Amino acid sequence: MKAPVNLPEIPPELRGNVKLISFDTLYNWARKRSLWPMLFGLACCAFEMIATAASRYDMARFGMEIMRASPRQADLLIVNGTVTKKMAPQVVRLYDQMAEPKYVIAMGACAISGGPFKEGYNVVSGVDRLIPVDVYIPGCPPRPESLLQGILALQARFDHENIASMRAFQKTPDEGIPVPLLGPDLADWQTLWLQSHPEMQVAPELVDEETISQPGRIHPLEPVPFGDTAKTVLILQSRFPRDIQPLEDGLLVSPSKILQVADYLREQLSYRILSNLTAVDYPNPPEDIPESCIDVVYHFSRLSGGGTVALHTRVNRTEPRLASLTPNFPAANFQEREIWDLFGVRFEGHPDLRRLLMWEGFEGYPMRKDWHEAYFEAEHKPYRSRFPNGSKPRSAESRSPFRANVRLPEGWQPAEDGIEEVDRLLYERMLSADRDPAKPLGTEELILNFGPHHPSTHGVFRMVARLDGETVQHLEPVFGYLHRNHEKIGERNTWLQNIPYTDRLDYINGMTNNLAYCLALEKLLGWEVPERAEVLRIIMSEFSRIVNHMLAAGFLSNELGLYFTGSLYALEERELILDLFEAVSGGRMMFNYMRPGGVAADLPPGWVERARELVRERLPQKVKTMQTFLLDNDIIQARTLGIGVLPPEMAVACGVTGPVLRASNVPYDLRRADPYGIYDRFEFDICTRQHGDAYDRLALRFDEIWQSLRILEQALERLPKGPVQSHKLTPLLSVPAGETYTRIEAPKGELGFYLVSDGRRNPYRYHVRSTSLLNLTPLSAICRGAKVADLVAILGSLDLTLGEVDR
Amino acid sequence: MTGWGVLKSLWTVLRHFFMTYVDDFRYGPGRRYRPEALAERQGAKAQGIFTVQYPRERLPLPERSRNLPFLVEDATTGALRCTACGICTQVCPVQCIWIERAVDAETGRPLRRPAQYHLDISLCMGCGFCAEFCPFDAIKMGSDFEVSSYERPGFLDATQLARRL
Ligand code: SF4
Ligand code: SF4
Ligand code: SF4
Repeated sequence: MKAPVNLPEIPPELRGNVKLISFDTLYNWARKRSLWPMLFGLACCAFEMIATAASRYDMARFGMEIMRASPRQADLLIVNGTVTKKMAPQVVRLYDQMAEPKYVIAMGACAISGGPFKEGYNVVSGVDRLIPVDVYIPGCPPRPESLLQGILALQARFDHENIASMRAFQKTPDEGIPVPLLGPDLADWQTLWLQSHPEMQVAPELVDEETISQPGRIHPLEPVPFGDTAKTVLILQSRFPRDIQPLEDGLLVSPSKILQVADYLREQLSYRILSNLTAVDYPNPPEDIPESCIDVVYHFSRLSGGGTVALHTRVNRTEPRLASLTPNFPAANFQEREIWDLFGVRFEGHPDLRRLLMWEGFEGYPMRKDWHEAYFEAEHKPYRSRFPNGSKPRSAESRSPFRANVRLPEGWQPAEDGIEEVDRLLYERMLSADRDPAKPLGTEELILNFGPHHPSTHGVFRMVARLDGETVQHLEPVFGYLHRNHEKIGERNTWLQNIPYTDRLDYINGMTNNLAYCLALEKLLGWEVPERAEVLRIIMSEFSRIVNHMLAAGFLSNELGLYFTGSLYALEERELILDLFEAVSGGRMMFNYMRPGGVAADLPPGWVERARELVRERLPQKVKTMQTFLLDNDIIQARTLGIGVLPPEMAVACGVTGPVLRASNVPYDLRRADPYGIYDRFEFDICTRQHGDAYDRLALRFDEIWQSLRILEQALERLPKGPVQSHKLTPLLSVPAGETYTRIEAPKGELGFYLVSDGRRNPYRYHVRSTSLLNLTPLSAICRGAKVADLVAILGSLDLTLGEVDR
Repeated sequence: MTGWGVLKSLWTVLRHFFMTYVDDFRYGPGRRYRPEALAERQGAKAQGIFTVQYPRERLPLPERSRNLPFLVEDATTGALRCTACGICTQVCPVQCIWIERAVDAETGRPLRRPAQYHLDISLCMGCGFCAEFCPFDAIKMGSDFEVSSYERPGFLDATQLARRL
């Protein structure tokens, strides 16, 4: 072993003592081969890290046999994904708890600098602002080989270290890094220091002059896009003649009557699902809106199928208040909290109106059009500074006096304990909610925080449970640790620039995310899609569904204590399907493949044969193996049967969709209920299961895989020849004014995009109706009374991706 | 609860374990890592060991595989193909491309080449839009993935971005 060791200063009397050198060599050699990475996942890049740990890339070959879930047993922190401000205190705390000597790898653009989300208001511009980083791996996401190479580069570095100079062995004890505080914004120690030293702050650079956008008239492309819902509209109009005005794209309800109208829709017209609820901010209203307002939009749909009915209601911007739908439509719960959080509309009668994605105490309502983040540059992309005079590239850090993505009000001082203030409302609710009046207060109770860093929460998700012994009395999910400001960034992007961003929502199913957004765009543009592209879209969606369901089953088994075995089998098949995806789109996870009017590229030669081989010969056999492995297993059965039962009525009321809803015996699948693309031409069944427990949700996913294989067989058989794109795309596409709520049956459930166009090159409003978030609505209710050990089974069976929950 | 299901599960795992040795029998001991065997081991029919022994062996990347962009240099003249049309700066979703168009010193008219071209590699999301929309095929997506560094990566200039095809 030859190592370029820098000799430490050896006192003269000890010269000739070579033991230290050889010990260094031995020590470094041993350390190199026994790194302990932490099982820590932040965002999409975490999936590439998991792939690196799985069979194909197998990082155990480099001495990293098992990832440690506890920081105290780990010495390598792979920061794999976007570090949000809400998560920053936890990242620092984890780092502080790791054993010395410790190393950090910043994996992916987000960890290095904030990456594609850098300008977002909840994103830290690079983890190296918080903790020291040893190796940076650019890419989005870096391939597994890339990560391996980064780890090898880190190991190579060990050869140059010696004990005398290592940080870990210095005489002065390492105090650790101060944990950042959450106040009006994130305050790490550098920011706080700069705040108290105004002379060291830099003058922020001026932003491009551009006024706040003036939306044009909002009107749909086609006269009345109601289709089968036209009659509903007529009924509503005759029932509430004074309070409802027809808009060209829905109904305008007066704010005082919104409850009655919604109830009427549900009771009399059986619109029992509140699909989507969001808001649009109009500080400078277009001509058909009388004054500046916040427009709250509701989309209702029916179990029997058909399109959605849109209700709009407008509230003033200064003190917006509106009656809450949550008591009657539990599905509104999180969505109303989100609007309160991001737009500042107070919903009266909401049982628990706290911020959903940001933390209590954060300053401002970020989705309002006139709220700008620290890195704000201009209202719309493309920015003018880039061309033709982009000779002096500036990083976004130059826009803030703190050289970071923060805005602290002048004179703000951190409270004694910032964290407690942040969670005060949450803990107050924890103590009071679901209290059994017969049981006196305070007997053997425990409040348990589960996450945001926990290997069984599928990412950075936090549950707070109040326990009575082992039994859960009340549980609150806490969101926002991966809130990457998709919507704010999306409203600045051009229409096309949003396509790659959708890949990063539910990062397991980039293909279906692309598809939903492109379908929505096509609706606004009125474009047709060539036949071949339609079939290609179905092929990609169904492959994606298989990957998703296999992974969901695999990770559930992981959480039930099978450790990695189930996931490894699932990840093996995922790799083979990703090979197909990569061959056609170029990306393993971030495909950017669908386009309005078709798909980006035709299949490469030999693709169909490979896909057919996989669908006919390999997958059926592997799915069967996995089914035996999991479903027949008595231990899995004991852990999931009758656990987390979700009754059908509750599921519908909570806005749950996808496999979770169907496992509760509700045959609702948008591929049939509100068909899109050419699904109506394929033969397949909608699977349901009877009991709605965790086992049914697991089993149903396998049923659906078989149906997907059936669709794939048909699609690969009848793939027509022809073009794959109907229009030539221009970079700065303008979209006719109008609005649409377009939804598809993504592997996890109803994924919808609510888009408002003012006829320009950027969306005026870009909202994602997130499946995973809505599927978590009943979590608190179905966990009540469960045992602590069942929480992971319930959560795993709901199958969530945090990128989509928090957006 | 008979325990039969557990046994079946255990058998699945045991079978999987034994199957990792089939390639040894098929190719002879130790010969499963030959490059010819790689495609077979990674194909749909594979039964045996699935691991790619990176960095000793590498999975062939598909032609369209993309990671980070590079600028194309003309093989004969060594000049960049880029004409400073600015389209890539318009499509780039993260706005990480900065171009200054060269100007004729005498006439003051813009020239068809960039005076400076910068790309912030730490922001690039690898979407491939720049390559897709460049009308001159002057920027392309590279599939090189061995890009880690000890320093925080940042702006690359035209010389660092240029590569011959
Ligand atoms: S967007 Fe996702 S894949 Fe890209 S760098 Fe960030 S975490 Fe990684
Ligand atoms: S689009 Fe191509 S030719 Fe135009 S500026 Fe960019 S790299 Fe140069
Ligand atoms: S790949 Fe995408 S993000 Fe990267 S430079 Fe090109 S357009 Fe920009």
